[in-house]
This record gives sequence, structure tokens and C-alpha cells, in this order.
Amino acid sequence: MTRLSIILLMGLMAFALRALPQLFFAGRKFPAAWDRWLRYVSYSMICSIIAVTLFLSGARFESAAAPRRALALAVAVIVARRSQSAVTGMIVGAFVVLALTWLS
Amino acid sequence: MSFFARFRQGMRAAVPIWIAFVPSSIAWGIAAERRGLSIDEILLLSAWVYSGPAQFAVLGPLAENKSALQVLVAGFLMNLRFVPMSTALAPFFRGVKRLPLLASSHVVSASSFIVPYVQFQKELDARAGKVETGRDGYGNLAFFLGVGSTSFIVWVAGSGAGFGLALGFPAAFDEALKFILPGYFAGLLVVEMKSRGMALVCLGSLLTALPGALMNPDWGWLIAALAIATLVWGTEQWA
Repeated sequence: MTRLSIILLMGLMAFALRALPQLFFAGRKFPAAWDRWLRYVSYSMICSIIAVTLFLSGARFESAAAPRRALALAVAVIVARRSQSAVTGMIVGAFVVLALTWLS
Repeated sequence: MSFFARFRQGMRAAVPIWIAFVPSSIAWGIAAERRGLSIDEILLLSAWVYSGPAQFAVLGPLAENKSALQVLVAGFLMNLRFVPMSTALAPFFRGVKRLPLLASSHVVSASSFIVPYVQFQKELDARAGKVETGRDGYGNLAFFLGVGSTSFIVWVAGSGAGFGLALGFPAAFDEALKFILPGYFAGLLVVEMKSRGMALVCLGSLLTALPGALMNPDWGWLIAALAIATLVWGTEQWA
């Protein structure tokens, strides 16, 4: 399957998830337990993606870069939490990792 | 209030969303360009999928030409959150015909859900719970489109701008650019994190994703994520 057809299919699925509830489930609520499970799955996937994107290159663990990236991630998390801004945390973290790369 | 007046009201309410979308969409465009996606693919993803978290989530697997099923499952799971959002908005569009309803549902996102939903609830309370009828549905749709469609345009335009910016970045900045995606995600998480359960899910997933991915680069991290989420959720249900 080409990359283009994957994107088209993915968009179609996203559209269905947005449109179908409006047509078929109007006025209904999801059970609280299911809603919570969905939220947990989303958060869990995001964290897994953070770890994989930051520390792996293909199937290889990037051991040399891992300490500085982990430190930058910690700084980004603290800054984002304190400023309540994900973008601010990301920008500060990016500067930290850049500075550590140039120093090493 | 006319359709266009209500649309403009929605636009004014969307200004903070535009401001937040500019750096995020540019970050997405930069990250996608650095991962080897073309400008067409970046714009198509932004316009047709229009889901920041899902776009970021599938970027790696898509760029590395991983299995199509893996990309689609990851995107589907990330986009499941649209179901309750869209469901919560639906009662406010009473009386709207199916075609405009279907067309407008494309711009449902976390931001374009929250702002109109809060506004509609506020207006409903002001009318002391009087049920929406007929034309009110179109007024609400206009407000929703004022928020959703303009935010959508900002997101797509920002993605294209990010692609252009990334082309001008020297290679020495690669390490910082590689950090944009996980750094943004981590920031989003900690800003939204409010319960111990979510903290446990995040910590557990961070710790298990790497062993999972090293055991099976295609599915390991996804299975680990599903297992951790279900484990924490199950424990909470039975406790």
C-alpha cells in the first residue's frame, strides 16, 4: 500500500469517527468506564511514542544521545508544567538538547 | 442573529486557538519534512486527517514505511477521542440537514469541540434549559464553523509554512528538530495530567515502550501501550 493511500484511508477513518456519532449517537453518553479507558489508551500511546521517537533509531537504542535527550525531556516537562504551556516546554527542551549537543 | 454574525462570533472565540495552532502546526511541518515526507503528503495529512496527535503518532511509522495496518490502527486509536466530542456536540445541531452536518464534522477537533461546547452550554443555561429547535441548530452550526473552519485553515497553512522553514534549517539543528515531536507531546501530557491514574499510565508506558519496541519494532510499543492502559484502568475498576 502506498503512503498516499494510507493517508487517504486514515483520513476516511478519522472522518467516520467524527461524522457517524452526529448521525447515529446524538444525545447519548458513553459509559464513564469506557470513556476513561479510551483516555488512558491515548495517553499511554503518546508516552510510548515519546520514548520510541526520542531514544530509538529504527530498532537501535541510541545510547550516546540518550542521556542528553532524557535531560532535555525532563526540563521540557518541568517548564511545561510550570508555565502550563506545551509549546514553551518544547522550545526550552529543544534549546537544552541543542546546547548539550554542542558542548559534547 | 444571522448565520454570518454567528460565524463571526465563533471566529472571535477562536483567536486563542489560532495562536496555539501556529507553533504546533509549524512544528508538525518541520518534523514531517525532517522525516522525509513531501509537501503534498504533509498538506494532505493536515487537511484530510486534521488531527495533530494522530499526525504526530503516525509520522514515524509512515516515514519508515512500516506496515499500513500499524499506521491505520495507531491513527484510529488516536482519533477515537473524536467520538465522544462529536457526540456531545450533536444535540446542539438539531434541525440541521445531514449534508451540512457531515461536511462540518470534518473540523471537529479537541479545540474546536471545547470552545463551542462551552458556549452552547452557557447559552442553554441562559435560556433556562429551553430545548433547541429548528433554526437554532443552524446558528450553533455557524458558531461551530466560525471556530472550526478558521482553526483548520490556520493548521493547514502552518503545516506548509513549517515545511518551508525546515528546508532552511542547517543540519546542526537536527538534534533540536528531533526533539520537537516528543517534547511537544510530553508538554501536552503534563499540562493535561490531573489524576494519579494518568501519571501511572504515562510512567508505565514510558518504561515499557522501549523493551517492547526492541522486542518487536512494529507492534511492541503499541501492545505495551494497550497493556499498560488496560492494566491501570482494570485495577481502578476493581479497586
